[in-house]
Amino acid sequence: MFRYTKMTALREGLVWVAALLTLLPFYFLVITALKPDEELLSTGTSAPPGRPTLENFAEVLTQGGDNNILMALLNSVLITLGSIAGLVAFGSLAAYVLARSTARWGSVTFYLFLIAILLPTQLGLVPLYIGARQLGLVGSVGGMVLLYVGTLMPLAVFLYAGFFRNLPRDYEEAAALDGAGPGRVFLRVVLPLMAPATGTVAILTGLIVWNDFFTALIFLGGSDNQTLPVSMYYYVGSLVSAWNKIFAIVIISMVPILAFYLFAQKRFIQGFAGGIK
Amino acid sequence: MRRLGVLAAVPAVSVLTLAACGGGDEDGGAAGAAGPADSFTWAFENASGGAENPWLVLAEEYTEETGVQIETQPLPPDSYGLTMRTQLQGGNAPALMMFAPGSGQSSSVIPLAEAGYLEPLGEASAALVPEGSESQFGIDGEIYAQPTSLIPVAVTWNAGAAGEAGVEYPEDFDAYLEACRSLADEGRSMAVIAGAVPPNPGLMSMAISATRVYAETPDWNDQRAAGETTFAESEGWQETLQTVVDLNEAGCFQPGAPGAGFDAITQGITQGTSLTAFLPGTAANELMNATPGLELDTRAFPPAEGEPYLLASPNYVLSVNADADEGEKQAALDFLEWMADPENAERVTEIQGGVPITGPGENLNAAYEPVRDLLESGSYAPLPNQGWPNPGVYDALATGAQGLLTGQSDVQSVLEAMDQAYDQ
Amino acid sequence: MTATMGTPQDTTPVVRGAAAGAGGGAPFRSRRPRPLISHGRWWWALPAVLVVVLIHYLATAGGAFYAFTDWTGVGDFDFIGLENFRRIFDDPAMIGSIQNTLFLAFGFLIATNVVGLVLALALNRTLRTRYLLRVLFFMPVVLSPLAVSYVWKFIFDFNGPLNGVLGWIGMEPRLWLADPGLALWAVLVVMAWQTTGMVMVIYLAGLATVPAEIEEAAALDGASTWRRFRHITLPSIRPSVAIASTLMLIQGLRVFDQVMALTGGGPAGATETLATQVYKETFALSNFGFGAALALLLTLIMLVFAVLQQAATKDRS
Repeated sequence: MFRYTKMTALREGLVWVAALLTLLPFYFLVITALKPDEELLSTGTSAPPGRPTLENFAEVLTQGGDNNILMALLNSVLITLGSIAGLVAFGSLAAYVLARSTARWGSVTFYLFLIAILLPTQLGLVPLYIGARQLGLVGSVGGMVLLYVGTLMPLAVFLYAGFFRNLPRDYEEAAALDGAGPGRVFLRVVLPLMAPATGTVAILTGLIVWNDFFTALIFLGGSDNQTLPVSMYYYVGSLVSAWNKIFAIVIISMVPILAFYLFAQKRFIQGFAGGIK
Repeated sequence: MRRLGVLAAVPAVSVLTLAACGGGDEDGGAAGAAGPADSFTWAFENASGGAENPWLVLAEEYTEETGVQIETQPLPPDSYGLTMRTQLQGGNAPALMMFAPGSGQSSSVIPLAEAGYLEPLGEASAALVPEGSESQFGIDGEIYAQPTSLIPVAVTWNAGAAGEAGVEYPEDFDAYLEACRSLADEGRSMAVIAGAVPPNPGLMSMAISATRVYAETPDWNDQRAAGETTFAESEGWQETLQTVVDLNEAGCFQPGAPGAGFDAITQGITQGTSLTAFLPGTAANELMNATPGLELDTRAFPPAEGEPYLLASPNYVLSVNADADEGEKQAALDFLEWMADPENAERVTEIQGGVPITGPGENLNAAYEPVRDLLESGSYAPLPNQGWPNPGVYDALATGAQGLLTGQSDVQSVLEAMDQAYDQ
Repeated sequence: MTATMGTPQDTTPVVRGAAAGAGGGAPFRSRRPRPLISHGRWWWALPAVLVVVLIHYLATAGGAFYAFTDWTGVGDFDFIGLENFRRIFDDPAMIGSIQNTLFLAFGFLIATNVVGLVLALALNRTLRTRYLLRVLFFMPVVLSPLAVSYVWKFIFDFNGPLNGVLGWIGMEPRLWLADPGLALWAVLVVMAWQTTGMVMVIYLAGLATVPAEIEEAAALDGASTWRRFRHITLPSIRPSVAIASTLMLIQGLRVFDQVMALTGGGPAGATETLATQVYKETFALSNFGFGAALALLLTLIMLVFAVLQQAATKDRS
């Protein structure tokens, strides 16, 4: 084993200095959000508030109409959960048959998903917007879920396909020999086994949907169903540079995802490392 | 501080526009009936995000007076043009819509009229159109957009703070530069601009062009359209942008101006550290209403030589969706007629904080008193970009002016970029 | 078309698929010679295939179609052939945004990989608090780029903390986001700050495959730290290098959120990238055709780099 020496202690100290420097932006975020209006200009930007207050949070949370942060939070949660559900259901099914397929169309279809990942958002944006508008999907939660399921499906299929490829077929074969049909095999045998892959898919895609600003802005901006980033963008625009209020919103938007991350940090980090491995 | 977002609503917003969509479901009135419906929908830019938006106030008053319900759709300004365009194409646009005159902005009315999306308006609307500007409100002899009040765009003078500092408004450009230097020594600035937000330097350049270009050649835009001149050849435009450079070099702007947002303007003006800003009259008006004790008025930018001159035009117009349900369409047309009535028009002007389209009368907003003579004598031109063919020209001016402040561009290259955008 | 440009996570699978394609031949044909029992039903894949064809392929094809027109978003349009592309290469502003895009992409690639690898090496073994430190360094990855950019905008503000520190040590304040020479670097710093944690995690996964015994044996033999890194560690983490670099390059090429929130492309276009130009042309200036041409160009650049990267990876392995 490598021993813990004085040099190691020094190294540990240095890394901590780097970590604190990295986290410095969070310091400014918190102290500014706690400042009352009159201290915003009177105290230095790096100085903690003389009279810390939560009134910025109260004001930001009680806004109505388009600036209703709580409604936006609800929309974000609905859209994220809906998208994850769709991606897990259809992504796992598709990846499963592709991974188990012995026919040529299986690999051809797989490359269809592979290439789709490289196509950048912008090119298809206008046609998508026009199509979605004609179907009445613009500005609705359901439309966003459909859009995200479509855009992230290649990612979900990849992650699941990689998992199924390494999953031994023995159980499935045994169940099939016992006379279970394919549907039964999938539900009884495969579904319980794919939990780890589902965790990775849910975290990676969920994070993208949760943080997405660009698509949500285009498809939801100006509607009643704004997500958190869009609502934040508009609200910040109307606040101009009332940094204490802006940072109160920023903190509110960060808390759910940070709490979830700290709660499930191991899965997050594994999800990223594992999804890539 | 929230309402100050209104400053973002300079009439020529062309900040990176973000697409959006309004729900757009129409409130079904008395469909198919011959008479007007008892309700209609109305979309407009809502810059301040607050309930004090003049259009909202107006809609409420109309409902109170006539009983006709208006379903309002206040939309964020930076995505407004695109939202309306897509809704019109999708056939789910509201019956009544706010636009900008001409074709130089993303929310401009003329391209939409050309595409056949708008309903021609009647005599009452046509009568309000300023003489000589018909081409910015309609095509082929028909008027498609009803102007609202006249909005001066010039220099907002912080009269209260100036009084305290003992500074008089400089009547010529040299005096202005002199004031810049002496104020900078005192830790104040003569002007405050939002240099990081291109439309503000853009608006400043247009306000300066009033005396450098349009005072001498009011029909400059027509000459440009006819190909008789270009921006790059125009001495007036060269002088306009050189003035921006001169202001910058003389230290007229607040410290950190190139990186400043609209908040810098509100802070500079309300705290009295800056004495002038370049804002549409309506924004100055709202700023004053939002800040007790603030005294602002409107002045012409000092000419290098010759007489002062202003920009003033109806920067917001109203149009009716040709595809709207007949009943709703009629209800929207009735509303326009109501607005055209002189008594109501006066109220509209008051709510908007503009100048009556018919010219300044007895009830002229006190903030415009210093420019009353100019308004009465007709010494003003419409916002130049209303007469330009596409939003790219103003974008080239706005980002170019920003580049002049940071030293990235020079006068001639900005003008050439404007020509290039113009000819596309 | 992936939902977010510039979100750290979204390009993950590119590499995964690419690596599989590059390394394993046809990954989905069974290696065992008994393809007798087929599980599942082919139509189970139908919903997924359908949405992908619709939302990725048809929409992109539609977008590519407009690239050859002069459509303005309303009314009729004409086919103008390659005119839009000629305009792109004639316009110094567009050339500038291509340069900015490449600068950000390669700067981002280098910064995140160097710092990420150093952090991974530091946090691989021995440090007592290494798990906590990993969690802290990874934290910015999960946040929304928009929210992060607001915080940095404050830090870079003319009256903000960074200039406060400069003033404190007696230096002149600077216009970080409005200085044409600095603004692009500022954007780069924010991008790297947010994503380095992800690269660190990729390298940590790679380093976990390096057997400790071999390293120890080499250390006992008196091999210097550098030699150990060069001859033992580096060869083992090659796949991670390939993955992390492709990932960062692709993500750097599509940068959007950070630029929009920090500078809006300014000052005077100094931080404009291809993605923001697409946006501006399409939605602000309603040049739909021209915007589509820019988007098509961005797509081609990304495809070219993805292919080049794959070729490079293949040679090495």
